[in-house]
Amino acid sequence: MGKIILEAQGLNKSYLNGNKKLNVLKDFSIQLEERQIITIMGDSGSGKSTALNILGTLDTYDSGNLFIAGKVVKALDKTELSNLRNQDIGFVFQFHYLLPEFTAFENVLIPTWIKGDNNTNEYANELFSSLGLSKRKEHFPSQLSGGERSRVALIRAIINKPKILFADEPTGNLDYKNAIKLVDLLMKINENFNQSIILTTHNPEISEIGHKKFNLVNGTLNK
Amino acid sequence: MIWERKVAKRFYSHTKNKNWYSGVLSMLGMSVGCFAMIISLSVMNGFEKLVHNKLKGFDGDLRILGSIKNIEEIKSIEHVTKVMPFMERKGLIEEIDNQKIVTFKAIDENIFSQFYDFNIRGSVLKSGEVIIGQDLAYRLGKDLGDIILLFSPLDQSFGFGIPYKKEFKIVGIFQTKVLDYDDRFVFLTLSDGNDLFRRKKSIDGLDIRINEHSNIKEAKAEVFKKTGDLFEVLSWKDLNKSLVSAMKIERVGTLCVLSLIFLVSTFNLATSLTLISYEKIKEIAILRSMGATKKSIIKIIVRCGFERAGRGAIFGLAMGIVFVLIQNTFSIIKIPSNIYFIDSLPMIISFSDFFVITFLSFSFIFLSSYLTGKRISKIKVIKALQWAK
Repeated sequence: MGKIILEAQGLNKSYLNGNKKLNVLKDFSIQLEERQIITIMGDSGSGKSTALNILGTLDTYDSGNLFIAGKVVKALDKTELSNLRNQDIGFVFQFHYLLPEFTAFENVLIPTWIKGDNNTNEYANELFSSLGLSKRKEHFPSQLSGGERSRVALIRAIINKPKILFADEPTGNLDYKNAIKLVDLLMKINENFNQSIILTTHNPEISEIGHKKFNLVNGTLNK
Repeated sequence: MIWERKVAKRFYSHTKNKNWYSGVLSMLGMSVGCFAMIISLSVMNGFEKLVHNKLKGFDGDLRILGSIKNIEEIKSIEHVTKVMPFMERKGLIEEIDNQKIVTFKAIDENIFSQFYDFNIRGSVLKSGEVIIGQDLAYRLGKDLGDIILLFSPLDQSFGFGIPYKKEFKIVGIFQTKVLDYDDRFVFLTLSDGNDLFRRKKSIDGLDIRINEHSNIKEAKAEVFKKTGDLFEVLSWKDLNKSLVSAMKIERVGTLCVLSLIFLVSTFNLATSLTLISYEKIKEIAILRSMGATKKSIIKIIVRCGFERAGRGAIFGLAMGIVFVLIQNTFSIIKIPSNIYFIDSLPMIISFSDFFVITFLSFSFIFLSSYLTGKRISKIKVIKALQWAK
């Protein structure tokens, strides 16, 4: 058993819809170990994205506890939370969310700029070449295909060597061929870089890559 | 280059046309504001200098009040170039059916033309002659060569004595256009003054001119050192305190009113930055998800503000200075010389004014960008990402 790098204990999240309280996550508990892939499968509206956003500190929770890399998330101030996001967490979204004003290479370097680390060009070049994107480095996102954008987004997510990579339906916007390619890449990253990954999907085939597989039904997590 | 600057530059150069147009407007607004400030203060400085020179031209740079004896000692002070002894008295000009109150100023006629710096029509002053102001001459209906009757009631002997009156020939008419000087002063020689002001035993003081490059405060201190506590030493600013302070207040008022231009440009800039920020809200949220702090987002917006309005301010400042230089070199704006004694609009720009305008404009830009940035940085990352889908 590897070291636990993320632990969620009984997380609850609700939204107010007019006067009605909508429980999106109910008693959500999960443990992620080093070098582990966890997949969370669920239909649209089951709360997958909310869960991932909360685990990735992009959203807040009503009750429960969340520990990331040994830190109590609720106890962190805004700057510490930003540092956690920058250095310990990487995100791959369904929509690649690359900045259109920057080239693919610059997009990848942005997290390192935020970190204040200016010596990552070589590492970024290595990642570009290992993901077959060397020739597309100086292209802007609008000049890349959907698959290429997703791969650039993936490099950007791991450039700071985060402890956890969150992938929110990363294949949701891709065709079958590119989706398989991306899933292979995630597995490769997990094996080669010992990268821990939490991935949400509605595709049962993709959820099979997880060392631990969960189903999220109406905000409740089932094994 | 720090990363926030890099991002701000890209955000700025990749804005949509409609937002680009609003950015140009805020840039123009700031330009016009800075240009107007530079021009207005330069003109004000120009006219202030003109008035100051006229006041100094009439009263000298410093005045010692009291019947000082050691004139030679004052002349020997390093800063002092000219010294004019004077006697001053309120007196009357008698007409057939009228009397006019004036101020007699008896001075050393030998250095009159070297000491005073104002327009005079006529010839050199001698005993039995006077030089009067243009407005007074007009009021009396007199011109060069005419005779007027002067007497000093303060020096009238009590009892049955008839006040001493003396006829003088007008040999000069001066024009200063400062306060009521042209209507009030009558210059006569010191010997005539001694004759007319019978109760006065000595001079009332000395008017002093100092070296052009000397500091007036230092010169005043030096003169005071020589004269001691027995005599009062006043600078031309002390003599015209109310006028000088009124001019200062006017300057502050102008600065405040013209700052409103900046305020309007600031609103425009804030609107423009808000538009850009909402256009880039997805990118801002992505940056936040990658670990950018709220402070960094504020920095980006502030830099965007400076990219836009800052350029405008610099352009406006530069244009203002160029305009002042052109006016001073080629005198393109003319003014009537019979009123102002100069034929072109005087413009002087000082470093302190330039600094104040730059500081004001950049403060307004910073404030508006900072407040916009602060508001934008408060938007929740998740909301912004969902919003941008």
